Amino acid sequence: MTRKEHLINLGYLAAFLAVLTVLPSQFSVYITSFIMFTMMYVVLALSWNIISGYTGYVSFGHVLFYGVGSYASAILVADHGWHWVPTLAVSALVGVVIAVAIGFPVLRLKGPYFAIAMLGAAEGTRVIVTVWDGLTHGGEGISLPNVENSTETYIAMLLLMVATIAVSYWVGHSRFGIRLNAIREDELAAEVMGINTTVYKLAAFALSAVFPAIAGAIQANKTLYIDPETEFFILITITMKLMAMLGGKGTVIGPIVGAIVLYSVQEIVWIRFPQAHLIAFGIFLILVARFMPRGLVGFWIDRGWARKGMVH
Amino acid sequence: MALHKDEIALDVQDLHKHFGGIKAVDGCSLQFPKGKISGLIGPNGSGKTTTFNLLTGVTAPDSGKILYNGENLAGLKPYKIFRKGITRTFQITRIYREMTTFENMLSVAGLSIPEREVRQRAEELMDFVNLTGLRDEYGGNLSYGQQKLLEFSRALMTDPDLILLDEPAAGVNRTLLVELLKHIHELQEQGKTIIIVEHDMNVIMNHCEKIFVMDYGVKIAEGLPEEIQANKQVIEAYFGHT
Repeated sequence: MTRKEHLINLGYLAAFLAVLTVLPSQFSVYITSFIMFTMMYVVLALSWNIISGYTGYVSFGHVLFYGVGSYASAILVADHGWHWVPTLAVSALVGVVIAVAIGFPVLRLKGPYFAIAMLGAAEGTRVIVTVWDGLTHGGEGISLPNVENSTETYIAMLLLMVATIAVSYWVGHSRFGIRLNAIREDELAAEVMGINTTVYKLAAFALSAVFPAIAGAIQANKTLYIDPETEFFILITITMKLMAMLGGKGTVIGPIVGAIVLYSVQEIVWIRFPQAHLIAFGIFLILVARFMPRGLVGFWIDRGWARKGMVH
Repeated sequence: MALHKDEIALDVQDLHKHFGGIKAVDGCSLQFPKGKISGLIGPNGSGKTTTFNLLTGVTAPDSGKILYNGENLAGLKPYKIFRKGITRTFQITRIYREMTTFENMLSVAGLSIPEREVRQRAEELMDFVNLTGLRDEYGGNLSYGQQKLLEFSRALMTDPDLILLDEPAAGVNRTLLVELLKHIHELQEQGKTIIIVEHDMNVIMNHCEKIFVMDYGVKIAEGLPEEIQANKQVIEAYFGHT
Protein backbone atom coordinates (compact mmCIF):
# COMPACT_ATOMS: atom_id res chain seq x y z
CA MET A 1 0.00 0.00 0.00
CA THR A 2 1.29 3.43 -0.81
CA ARG A 3 1.86 6.20 1.70
CA LYS A 4 -1.04 8.12 0.16
CA GLU A 5 -3.45 5.24 0.75
CA HIS A 6 -2.33 4.94 4.36
CA LEU A 7 -2.95 8.69 4.81
CA ILE A 8 -6.43 8.43 3.28
CA ASN A 9 -7.25 5.59 5.70
CA LEU A 10 -5.94 7.70 8.56
CA GLY A 11 -8.21 10.54 7.41
CA TYR A 12 -11.29 8.28 7.49
CA LEU A 13 -10.38 7.09 10.96
CA ALA A 14 -9.87 10.65 12.25
CA ALA A 15 -13.26 11.77 10.88
CA PHE A 16 -14.97 8.74 12.39
CA LEU A 17 -13.38 9.45 15.77
CA ALA A 18 -14.22 13.14 15.70
CA VAL A 19 -17.88 12.20 15.30
CA LEU A 20 -17.68 9.66 18.12
CA THR A 21 -16.04 12.15 20.45
CA VAL A 22 -18.85 14.72 20.23
CA LEU A 23 -21.69 12.17 20.24
CA PRO A 24 -22.18 11.65 24.02
CA SER A 25 -23.18 15.26 24.53
CA GLN A 26 -25.80 15.00 21.79
CA PHE A 27 -27.69 11.87 22.77
CA SER A 28 -29.52 10.14 25.56
CA VAL A 29 -27.77 7.89 28.06
CA TYR A 30 -29.21 4.88 26.26
CA ILE A 31 -27.72 5.79 22.87
CA THR A 32 -24.38 6.75 24.44
CA SER A 33 -24.20 3.45 26.24
CA PHE A 34 -25.23 1.61 23.07
CA ILE A 35 -22.34 3.26 21.19
CA MET A 36 -19.96 2.44 24.02
CA PHE A 37 -20.82 -1.24 23.92
CA THR A 38 -20.59 -1.27 20.13
CA MET A 39 -17.07 0.12 20.48
CA MET A 40 -16.32 -2.54 23.05
CA TYR A 41 -17.33 -5.25 20.62
CA VAL A 42 -15.18 -3.64 17.90
CA VAL A 43 -12.28 -4.06 20.34
CA LEU A 44 -13.19 -7.67 21.14
CA ALA A 45 -13.75 -8.71 17.52
CA LEU A 46 -10.50 -7.09 16.35
CA SER A 47 -8.56 -8.73 19.18
CA TRP A 48 -9.98 -12.18 18.50
CA ASN A 49 -9.08 -11.62 14.86
CA ILE A 50 -5.36 -11.21 15.65
CA ILE A 51 -4.92 -14.75 16.95
CA SER A 52 -7.78 -16.45 15.13
CA GLY A 53 -8.15 -14.53 11.87
CA TYR A 54 -4.53 -13.68 11.07
CA THR A 55 -2.84 -16.61 12.80
CA GLY A 56 -5.55 -19.25 12.29
CA TYR A 57 -5.75 -20.39 15.93
CA VAL A 58 -9.50 -20.24 16.47
CA SER A 59 -10.11 -19.37 20.11
CA PHE A 60 -13.34 -20.48 21.80
CA GLY A 61 -12.33 -19.00 25.11
CA HIS A 62 -11.37 -15.41 24.52
CA VAL A 63 -13.85 -14.18 27.11
CA LEU A 64 -11.22 -15.40 29.56
CA PHE A 65 -9.13 -12.26 29.06
CA TYR A 66 -12.16 -9.99 29.21
CA GLY A 67 -13.20 -11.66 32.46
CA VAL A 68 -9.83 -11.51 34.21
CA GLY A 69 -9.42 -7.90 33.10
CA SER A 70 -12.75 -6.91 34.60
CA TYR A 71 -12.01 -8.78 37.84
CA ALA A 72 -8.53 -7.31 38.23
CA SER A 73 -9.97 -3.81 37.96
CA ALA A 74 -13.06 -4.43 40.11
CA ILE A 75 -11.01 -5.97 42.94
CA LEU A 76 -8.62 -3.00 43.00
CA VAL A 77 -11.42 -0.42 42.89
CA ALA A 78 -13.85 -2.09 45.33
CA ASP A 79 -11.45 -3.66 47.83
CA HIS A 80 -8.33 -1.53 47.64
CA GLY A 81 -9.77 1.90 46.94
CA TRP A 82 -7.95 2.54 43.66
CA HIS A 83 -9.23 5.04 41.15
CA TRP A 84 -10.49 3.03 38.15
CA VAL A 85 -8.19 4.60 35.51
CA PRO A 86 -4.84 3.23 36.75
CA THR A 87 -6.41 -0.23 37.19
CA LEU A 88 -6.65 -0.46 33.40
CA ALA A 89 -2.87 -0.86 33.24
CA VAL A 90 -3.00 -3.64 35.81
CA SER A 91 -5.77 -5.37 33.87
CA ALA A 92 -3.69 -5.15 30.69
CA LEU A 93 -0.70 -6.66 32.47
CA VAL A 94 -2.80 -9.46 34.00
CA GLY A 95 -4.24 -10.21 30.53
CA VAL A 96 -0.78 -10.48 28.96
CA VAL A 97 0.71 -12.58 31.78
CA ILE A 98 -2.19 -15.03 31.65
CA ALA A 99 -2.03 -15.15 27.84
CA VAL A 100 1.65 -16.08 27.91
CA ALA A 101 1.16 -18.63 30.69
CA ILE A 102 -1.78 -20.30 28.93
CA GLY A 103 -0.49 -19.75 25.41
CA PHE A 104 2.84 -21.47 25.94
CA PRO A 105 1.33 -24.94 26.36
CA VAL A 106 -1.97 -24.43 24.53
CA LEU A 107 -0.56 -22.93 21.31
CA ARG A 108 1.17 -26.26 20.66
CA LEU A 109 -2.28 -27.67 19.93
CA LYS A 110 -3.85 -27.19 16.55
CA GLY A 111 -7.32 -26.75 15.08
CA PRO A 112 -10.19 -28.18 17.15
CA TYR A 113 -7.82 -29.20 19.97
CA PHE A 114 -6.75 -25.59 20.48
CA ALA A 115 -10.38 -24.43 20.30
CA ILE A 116 -11.49 -26.92 22.96
CA ALA A 117 -8.47 -26.21 25.17
CA MET A 118 -9.34 -22.48 25.13
CA LEU A 119 -12.97 -23.25 25.90
CA GLY A 120 -11.76 -25.33 28.84
CA ALA A 121 -9.36 -22.61 29.99
CA ALA A 122 -12.15 -20.01 30.01
CA GLU A 123 -14.61 -22.26 31.84
CA GLY A 124 -11.91 -23.35 34.27
CA THR A 125 -11.08 -19.73 35.05
CA ARG A 126 -14.77 -19.01 35.63
CA VAL A 127 -14.91 -21.83 38.16
CA ILE A 128 -11.74 -20.64 39.91
CA VAL A 129 -13.14 -17.10 40.13
CA THR A 130 -16.41 -18.48 41.51
CA VAL A 131 -14.79 -20.54 44.26
CA TRP A 132 -11.98 -18.17 45.22
CA ASP A 133 -14.17 -16.25 47.67
CA GLY A 134 -11.34 -14.48 49.46
CA LEU A 135 -10.15 -12.68 46.35
CA THR A 136 -13.17 -12.47 44.06
CA HIS A 137 -16.17 -12.46 46.43
CA GLY A 138 -17.18 -15.72 44.71
CA GLY A 139 -20.58 -16.22 43.13
CA GLU A 140 -22.16 -13.15 44.74
CA GLY A 141 -20.03 -10.89 42.56
CA ILE A 142 -18.48 -7.49 43.22
CA SER A 143 -20.36 -4.20 43.54
CA LEU A 144 -18.28 -1.19 42.67
CA PRO A 145 -18.67 2.21 44.41
CA ASN A 146 -21.52 4.07 42.77
CA VAL A 147 -20.02 7.00 40.86
CA GLU A 148 -21.24 8.70 37.72
CA ASN A 149 -18.56 8.04 35.09
CA SER A 150 -20.47 7.49 31.84
CA THR A 151 -18.53 10.11 29.93
CA GLU A 152 -15.15 8.97 31.26
CA THR A 153 -15.77 5.31 30.49
CA TYR A 154 -17.08 6.28 27.06
CA ILE A 155 -13.88 8.21 26.31
CA ALA A 156 -11.75 5.39 27.71
CA MET A 157 -13.49 2.87 25.46
CA LEU A 158 -13.10 5.21 22.50
CA LEU A 159 -9.36 5.52 23.14
CA LEU A 160 -9.05 1.77 23.58
CA MET A 161 -10.85 1.23 20.29
CA VAL A 162 -8.46 3.66 18.56
CA ALA A 163 -5.49 1.76 20.00
CA THR A 164 -6.93 -1.60 18.91
CA ILE A 165 -7.66 -0.34 15.40
CA ALA A 166 -4.16 1.14 15.15
CA VAL A 167 -2.49 -2.09 16.26
CA SER A 168 -4.71 -4.20 13.98
CA TYR A 169 -3.94 -1.90 11.11
CA TRP A 170 -0.24 -2.23 11.78
CA VAL A 171 -0.48 -6.02 12.03
CA GLY A 172 -2.55 -6.09 8.87
CA HIS A 173 0.03 -4.14 6.86
CA SER A 174 3.30 -5.38 8.25
CA ARG A 175 5.56 -8.35 7.68
CA PHE A 176 4.72 -9.43 11.22
CA GLY A 177 1.12 -9.86 10.03
CA ILE A 178 2.18 -11.62 6.84
CA ARG A 179 4.15 -14.11 8.92
CA LEU A 180 1.12 -14.71 11.13
CA ASN A 181 -0.79 -15.41 7.91
CA ALA A 182 1.95 -17.82 6.85
CA ILE A 183 1.54 -19.71 10.14
CA ARG A 184 -2.20 -19.89 9.48
CA GLU A 185 -1.70 -21.17 5.94
CA ASP A 186 1.00 -23.77 6.63
CA GLU A 187 2.80 -23.76 9.95
CA LEU A 188 5.45 -26.29 8.94
CA ALA A 189 6.33 -24.41 5.77
CA ALA A 190 6.44 -21.17 7.78
CA GLU A 191 8.94 -22.66 10.20
CA VAL A 192 11.05 -24.16 7.41
CA MET A 193 11.06 -20.68 5.81
CA GLY A 194 12.70 -19.13 8.85
CA ILE A 195 9.79 -18.10 11.09
CA ASN A 196 10.19 -18.82 14.81
CA THR A 197 6.56 -19.87 15.08
CA THR A 198 6.51 -20.23 18.88
CA VAL A 199 7.52 -16.60 19.39
CA TYR A 200 5.19 -15.26 16.68
CA LYS A 201 2.20 -17.18 18.00
CA LEU A 202 2.82 -16.09 21.59
CA ALA A 203 3.19 -12.46 20.50
CA ALA A 204 -0.07 -12.64 18.54
CA PHE A 205 -1.82 -14.32 21.47
CA ALA A 206 -0.60 -11.71 23.96
CA LEU A 207 -1.69 -8.88 21.62
CA SER A 208 -5.10 -10.48 21.24
CA ALA A 209 -5.46 -10.73 25.05
CA VAL A 210 -4.39 -7.26 26.14
CA PHE A 211 -7.26 -5.28 24.57
CA PRO A 212 -10.11 -7.53 25.80
CA ALA A 213 -8.62 -7.36 29.31
CA ILE A 214 -8.77 -3.54 29.24
CA ALA A 215 -12.24 -3.62 27.65
CA GLY A 216 -13.45 -5.86 30.47
CA ALA A 217 -12.03 -3.44 33.02
CA ILE A 218 -13.74 -0.41 31.47
CA GLN A 219 -16.98 -2.32 31.22
CA ALA A 220 -16.84 -3.31 34.91
CA ASN A 221 -16.46 0.34 35.87
CA LYS A 222 -19.37 1.31 33.65
CA THR A 223 -21.85 -1.35 34.79
CA LEU A 224 -20.59 -1.19 38.43
CA TYR A 225 -21.47 -4.79 39.18
CA ILE A 226 -19.78 -7.96 37.97
CA ASP A 227 -20.15 -11.66 38.70
CA PRO A 228 -18.50 -14.76 37.24
CA GLU A 229 -21.53 -15.78 35.19
CA THR A 230 -21.71 -12.53 33.21
CA GLU A 231 -17.97 -11.78 32.98
CA PHE A 232 -17.04 -15.26 31.72
CA PHE A 233 -20.21 -15.76 29.66
CA ILE A 234 -19.39 -18.06 26.72
CA LEU A 235 -21.74 -16.08 24.47
CA ILE A 236 -19.27 -13.16 24.61
CA THR A 237 -16.59 -15.34 22.99
CA ILE A 238 -19.03 -16.59 20.39
CA THR A 239 -20.20 -13.05 19.65
CA MET A 240 -16.67 -11.72 19.01
CA LYS A 241 -15.95 -14.70 16.79
CA LEU A 242 -19.16 -14.22 14.82
CA MET A 243 -18.55 -10.51 14.39
CA ALA A 244 -15.11 -11.17 12.94
CA MET A 245 -16.49 -13.91 10.69
CA LEU A 246 -19.41 -11.81 9.50
CA GLY A 247 -17.17 -8.90 8.58
CA GLY A 248 -14.32 -11.02 7.26
CA LYS A 249 -11.68 -12.54 9.48
CA GLY A 250 -8.06 -11.93 8.67
CA THR A 251 -8.75 -8.35 7.56
CA VAL A 252 -8.62 -5.05 9.44
CA ILE A 253 -11.94 -3.59 8.37
CA GLY A 254 -13.90 -6.88 8.57
CA PRO A 255 -14.24 -7.23 12.36
CA ILE A 256 -15.08 -3.50 12.67
CA VAL A 257 -17.91 -3.80 10.15
CA GLY A 258 -19.01 -7.13 11.65
CA ALA A 259 -19.14 -5.74 15.19
CA ILE A 260 -21.15 -2.66 14.20
CA VAL A 261 -23.62 -4.60 12.03
CA LEU A 262 -24.11 -7.53 14.38
CA TYR A 263 -24.36 -5.50 17.59
CA SER A 264 -26.91 -3.15 16.01
CA VAL A 265 -28.97 -5.99 14.58
CA GLN A 266 -28.82 -7.83 17.89
CA GLU A 267 -29.99 -4.78 19.81
CA ILE A 268 -32.90 -4.10 17.46
CA VAL A 269 -34.04 -7.72 17.38
CA TRP A 270 -33.60 -8.09 21.14
CA ILE A 271 -35.82 -5.08 21.91
CA ARG A 272 -38.61 -6.16 19.60
CA PHE A 273 -38.52 -9.92 19.94
CA PRO A 274 -36.83 -10.88 23.21
CA GLN A 275 -37.83 -14.53 22.78
CA ALA A 276 -36.92 -14.91 19.14
CA HIS A 277 -33.64 -13.05 19.41
CA LEU A 278 -31.35 -16.06 19.75
CA ILE A 279 -33.18 -17.95 17.03
CA ALA A 280 -32.81 -15.01 14.64
CA PHE A 281 -29.16 -14.78 15.63
CA GLY A 282 -28.61 -18.46 14.82
CA ILE A 283 -30.34 -18.31 11.45
CA PHE A 284 -28.39 -15.21 10.53
CA LEU A 285 -25.12 -16.96 11.26
CA ILE A 286 -25.98 -20.06 9.28
CA LEU A 287 -26.77 -17.83 6.31
CA VAL A 288 -23.45 -16.00 6.63
CA ALA A 289 -21.46 -19.23 6.90
CA ARG A 290 -23.30 -20.67 3.90
CA PHE A 291 -23.29 -17.71 1.54
CA MET A 292 -20.42 -15.52 2.69
CA PRO A 293 -17.80 -17.85 4.16
CA ARG A 294 -15.16 -15.13 3.96
CA GLY A 295 -17.47 -12.48 5.36
CA LEU A 296 -18.67 -9.18 3.95
CA VAL A 297 -15.16 -8.09 3.07
CA GLY A 298 -14.41 -11.38 1.29
CA PHE A 299 -17.65 -10.85 -0.65
CA TRP A 300 -16.42 -7.40 -1.71
CA ILE A 301 -12.99 -8.73 -2.70
CA ASP A 302 -14.53 -11.49 -4.83
CA ARG A 303 -16.51 -8.85 -6.73
CA GLY A 304 -13.46 -6.69 -7.25
CA TRP A 305 -14.68 -3.92 -4.91
CA ALA A 306 -11.66 -4.32 -2.64
CA ARG A 307 -8.11 -5.46 -3.24
CA LYS A 308 -6.63 -8.84 -2.46
CA GLY A 309 -3.88 -9.24 0.07
CA MET A 310 -2.61 -6.94 2.75
CA VAL A 311 0.53 -5.53 1.17
CA HIS A 312 0.73 -3.92 -2.23
CA MET B 1 37.42 -41.02 -3.99
CA ALA B 2 37.15 -39.25 -0.67
CA LEU B 3 36.53 -35.51 -0.78
CA HIS B 4 38.72 -33.04 1.04
CA LYS B 5 37.00 -31.34 3.99
CA ASP B 6 36.81 -28.02 2.13
CA GLU B 7 35.03 -29.63 -0.78
CA ILE B 8 32.13 -30.89 1.31
CA ALA B 9 29.04 -28.69 1.69
CA LEU B 10 27.10 -31.03 3.95
CA ASP B 11 28.58 -34.00 5.74
CA VAL B 12 25.97 -36.48 6.95
CA GLN B 13 27.34 -39.12 9.28
CA ASP B 14 25.58 -42.33 10.29
CA LEU B 15 22.08 -40.84 10.36
CA HIS B 16 19.30 -42.92 11.93
CA LYS B 17 15.56 -42.36 12.09
CA HIS B 18 13.02 -44.98 13.09
CA PHE B 19 9.24 -44.60 13.01
CA GLY B 20 7.95 -47.36 15.27
CA GLY B 21 9.31 -50.53 13.70
CA ILE B 22 10.15 -48.91 10.39
CA LYS B 23 13.76 -47.93 9.87
CA ALA B 24 13.20 -44.98 7.53
CA VAL B 25 16.86 -43.94 7.58
CA ASP B 26 19.18 -46.60 8.90
CA GLY B 27 22.76 -45.48 9.26
CA CYS B 28 23.11 -43.27 6.22
CA SER B 29 26.32 -41.34 5.53
CA LEU B 30 26.41 -38.86 2.67
CA GLN B 31 28.98 -36.23 1.67
CA PHE B 32 27.45 -33.66 -0.64
CA PRO B 33 30.09 -31.83 -2.68
CA LYS B 34 30.24 -28.05 -2.44
CA GLY B 35 29.11 -25.95 -5.40
CA LYS B 36 27.70 -28.90 -7.32
CA ILE B 37 24.33 -30.37 -8.19
CA SER B 38 23.87 -33.70 -6.44
CA GLY B 39 21.05 -36.16 -6.95
CA LEU B 40 19.50 -38.35 -4.27
CA ILE B 41 17.57 -41.23 -5.78
CA GLY B 42 16.05 -44.52 -4.77
CA PRO B 43 12.84 -46.52 -5.06
CA ASN B 44 9.66 -45.33 -3.28
CA GLY B 45 10.01 -45.56 0.48
CA SER B 46 13.80 -45.72 0.40
CA GLY B 47 14.11 -42.78 2.82
CA LYS B 48 14.91 -39.84 0.54
CA THR B 49 12.23 -37.46 1.78
CA THR B 50 12.86 -38.53 5.38
CA THR B 51 16.52 -37.65 4.83
CA PHE B 52 15.48 -34.21 3.56
CA ASN B 53 13.24 -33.80 6.60
CA LEU B 54 16.12 -34.69 8.90
CA LEU B 55 18.48 -32.30 7.14
CA THR B 56 16.03 -29.39 7.45
CA GLY B 57 14.89 -30.07 11.02
CA VAL B 58 11.33 -31.04 10.11
CA THR B 59 11.97 -34.26 12.04
CA ALA B 60 14.78 -34.81 14.52
CA PRO B 61 17.12 -37.76 13.92
CA ASP B 62 17.44 -40.54 16.51
CA SER B 63 21.20 -40.41 16.13
CA GLY B 64 23.90 -39.30 13.73
CA LYS B 65 25.52 -36.03 12.73
CA ILE B 66 24.73 -33.43 10.10
CA LEU B 67 27.84 -31.28 9.77
CA TYR B 68 27.51 -27.95 8.00
CA ASN B 69 30.42 -25.48 8.14
CA GLY B 70 31.82 -27.47 11.05
CA GLU B 71 28.59 -27.28 13.03
CA ASN B 72 26.27 -30.17 13.88
CA LEU B 73 22.71 -29.33 12.76
CA ALA B 74 21.12 -32.57 13.94
CA GLY B 75 18.03 -31.85 16.03
CA LEU B 76 17.97 -28.08 15.49
CA LYS B 77 14.62 -26.40 14.84
CA PRO B 78 13.74 -25.82 11.16
CA TYR B 79 13.88 -22.02 11.40
CA LYS B 80 17.38 -22.19 12.90
CA ILE B 81 18.66 -24.46 10.14
CA PHE B 82 17.05 -22.19 7.56
CA ARG B 83 18.82 -19.18 9.03
CA LYS B 84 22.14 -20.93 8.59
CA GLY B 85 21.61 -20.84 4.85
CA ILE B 86 19.85 -24.10 4.07
CA THR B 87 16.56 -23.93 2.22
CA ARG B 88 14.21 -26.42 0.63
CA THR B 89 11.09 -27.07 -1.40
CA PHE B 90 8.57 -29.84 -0.79
CA GLN B 91 7.46 -32.86 -2.79
CA ILE B 92 3.92 -31.50 -2.79
CA THR B 93 4.20 -27.70 -2.86
CA ARG B 94 3.57 -25.92 0.41
CA ILE B 95 2.90 -22.39 -0.72
CA TYR B 96 0.44 -20.22 1.22
CA ARG B 97 -2.76 -20.53 -0.78
CA GLU B 98 -4.71 -17.60 0.65
CA MET B 99 -1.84 -15.17 0.39
CA THR B 100 -0.74 -13.37 -2.75
CA THR B 101 2.41 -14.32 -4.62
CA PHE B 102 4.12 -11.21 -3.27
CA GLU B 103 3.06 -11.96 0.31
CA ASN B 104 4.37 -15.51 -0.04
CA MET B 105 7.74 -13.99 -0.88
CA LEU B 106 7.68 -11.38 1.91
CA SER B 107 6.74 -13.89 4.60
CA VAL B 108 10.22 -15.40 4.70
CA ALA B 109 12.06 -14.56 7.94
CA GLY B 110 15.68 -14.39 8.99
CA LEU B 111 17.02 -12.55 5.98
CA SER B 112 20.56 -11.31 5.90
CA ILE B 113 19.63 -8.19 3.93
CA PRO B 114 18.13 -4.99 5.40
CA GLU B 115 14.34 -4.86 5.56
CA ARG B 116 14.05 -2.09 2.99
CA GLU B 117 15.73 -4.27 0.37
CA VAL B 118 13.40 -7.19 0.99
CA ARG B 119 10.67 -5.97 -1.34
CA GLN B 120 13.20 -5.33 -4.06
CA ARG B 121 14.61 -8.81 -3.68
CA ALA B 122 11.12 -10.32 -3.78
CA GLU B 123 10.41 -8.43 -7.02
CA GLU B 124 13.70 -9.59 -8.55
CA LEU B 125 13.06 -13.23 -7.70
CA MET B 126 9.50 -13.10 -9.04
CA ASP B 127 11.00 -11.71 -12.21
CA PHE B 128 13.64 -14.49 -12.21
CA VAL B 129 10.88 -17.15 -12.42
CA ASN B 130 8.45 -15.06 -14.54
CA LEU B 131 5.81 -14.61 -11.86
CA THR B 132 5.76 -10.80 -11.87
CA GLY B 133 2.42 -10.76 -13.70
CA LEU B 134 0.87 -12.86 -10.92
CA ARG B 135 2.23 -10.71 -8.10
CA ASP B 136 -1.16 -9.90 -6.56
CA GLU B 137 -2.84 -13.21 -7.29
CA TYR B 138 -3.62 -15.69 -4.50
CA GLY B 139 -1.20 -18.62 -4.36
CA GLY B 140 -4.10 -21.04 -4.54
CA ASN B 141 -5.16 -19.59 -7.90
CA LEU B 142 -1.80 -20.33 -9.58
CA SER B 143 -1.37 -23.44 -11.73
CA TYR B 144 0.57 -26.30 -10.16
CA GLY B 145 3.67 -25.50 -12.16
CA GLN B 146 3.47 -21.83 -11.17
CA GLN B 147 3.09 -22.87 -7.54
CA LYS B 148 6.29 -24.90 -7.88
CA LEU B 149 8.07 -21.85 -9.28
CA LEU B 150 6.69 -19.72 -6.46
CA GLU B 151 7.90 -22.19 -3.85
CA PHE B 152 11.28 -22.35 -5.56
CA SER B 153 11.69 -18.58 -5.66
CA ARG B 154 10.40 -18.22 -2.08
CA ALA B 155 13.11 -20.66 -1.00
CA LEU B 156 15.70 -18.32 -2.53
CA MET B 157 14.66 -15.19 -0.60
CA THR B 158 17.54 -15.47 1.86
CA ASP B 159 20.15 -16.09 -0.81
CA PRO B 160 20.90 -19.52 0.69
CA ASP B 161 24.09 -21.53 0.10
CA LEU B 162 22.48 -24.95 0.14
CA ILE B 163 19.26 -25.67 -1.73
CA LEU B 164 17.33 -28.91 -1.28
CA LEU B 165 14.73 -29.61 -3.96
CA ASP B 166 12.25 -32.43 -3.35
CA GLU B 167 11.01 -33.67 -6.73
CA PRO B 168 11.15 -30.38 -8.61
CA ALA B 169 10.11 -32.02 -11.88
CA ALA B 170 6.97 -33.80 -10.61
CA GLY B 171 3.81 -32.36 -12.16
CA VAL B 172 5.71 -29.74 -14.12
CA ASN B 173 5.33 -29.60 -17.92
CA ARG B 174 8.37 -29.88 -20.21
CA THR B 175 8.65 -26.20 -21.06
CA LEU B 176 8.50 -25.18 -17.42
CA LEU B 177 10.93 -27.95 -16.48
CA VAL B 178 13.51 -26.67 -18.96
CA GLU B 179 13.03 -23.25 -17.42
CA LEU B 180 13.41 -24.59 -13.89
CA LEU B 181 16.57 -26.54 -14.76
CA LYS B 182 18.02 -23.41 -16.33
CA HIS B 183 17.46 -21.59 -13.03
CA ILE B 184 19.04 -24.45 -11.08
CA HIS B 185 22.17 -24.29 -13.24
CA GLU B 186 22.31 -20.50 -12.85
CA LEU B 187 22.29 -20.95 -9.09
CA GLN B 188 25.06 -23.51 -9.31
CA GLU B 189 27.12 -21.09 -11.39
CA GLN B 190 26.71 -18.59 -8.54
CA GLY B 191 28.50 -21.13 -6.35
CA LYS B 192 25.52 -22.67 -4.59
CA THR B 193 25.19 -26.31 -3.62
CA ILE B 194 22.05 -28.05 -4.83
CA ILE B 195 20.65 -31.42 -3.81
CA ILE B 196 17.78 -32.88 -5.79
CA VAL B 197 15.49 -35.77 -4.90
CA GLU B 198 13.88 -36.84 -8.15
CA HIS B 199 12.21 -39.77 -9.87
CA ASP B 200 12.72 -38.37 -13.35
CA MET B 201 15.94 -40.14 -14.42
CA ASN B 202 16.52 -37.75 -17.31
CA VAL B 203 16.79 -34.89 -14.87
CA ILE B 204 19.08 -36.84 -12.56
CA MET B 205 21.39 -38.33 -15.20
CA ASN B 206 21.72 -35.19 -17.34
CA HIS B 207 21.95 -32.52 -14.68
CA CYS B 208 23.58 -34.00 -11.56
CA GLU B 209 27.32 -34.28 -11.23
CA LYS B 210 27.14 -36.72 -8.35
CA ILE B 211 24.44 -39.21 -7.50
CA PHE B 212 23.63 -40.97 -4.23
CA VAL B 213 21.33 -44.00 -4.27
CA MET B 214 19.31 -45.03 -1.23
CA ASP B 215 17.35 -48.18 -0.58
CA TYR B 216 15.69 -49.26 2.69
CA GLY B 217 17.18 -46.30 4.50
CA VAL B 218 20.82 -46.93 3.60
CA LYS B 219 23.08 -45.62 0.88
CA ILE B 220 23.74 -48.42 -1.59
CA ALA B 221 25.80 -46.51 -4.13
CA GLU B 222 27.32 -43.14 -5.01
CA GLY B 223 29.17 -41.87 -8.02
CA LEU B 224 28.99 -40.19 -11.39
CA PRO B 225 25.86 -40.70 -13.51
CA GLU B 226 27.51 -43.24 -15.78
CA GLU B 227 28.82 -45.23 -12.81
CA ILE B 228 25.37 -45.34 -11.25
CA GLN B 229 23.74 -46.44 -14.49
CA ALA B 230 26.13 -49.41 -14.63
CA ASN B 231 25.88 -50.30 -10.94
CA LYS B 232 24.42 -53.77 -10.46
CA GLN B 233 23.11 -53.07 -6.94
CA VAL B 234 21.21 -50.01 -8.15
CA ILE B 235 19.60 -51.92 -10.97
CA GLU B 236 18.57 -54.61 -8.50
CA ALA B 237 17.10 -52.06 -6.11
CA TYR B 238 14.95 -50.65 -8.90
CA PHE B 239 14.05 -53.77 -10.84
CA GLY B 240 14.62 -56.62 -8.37
CA HIS B 241 16.94 -59.59 -8.84
CA THR B 242 17.33 -60.98 -12.34
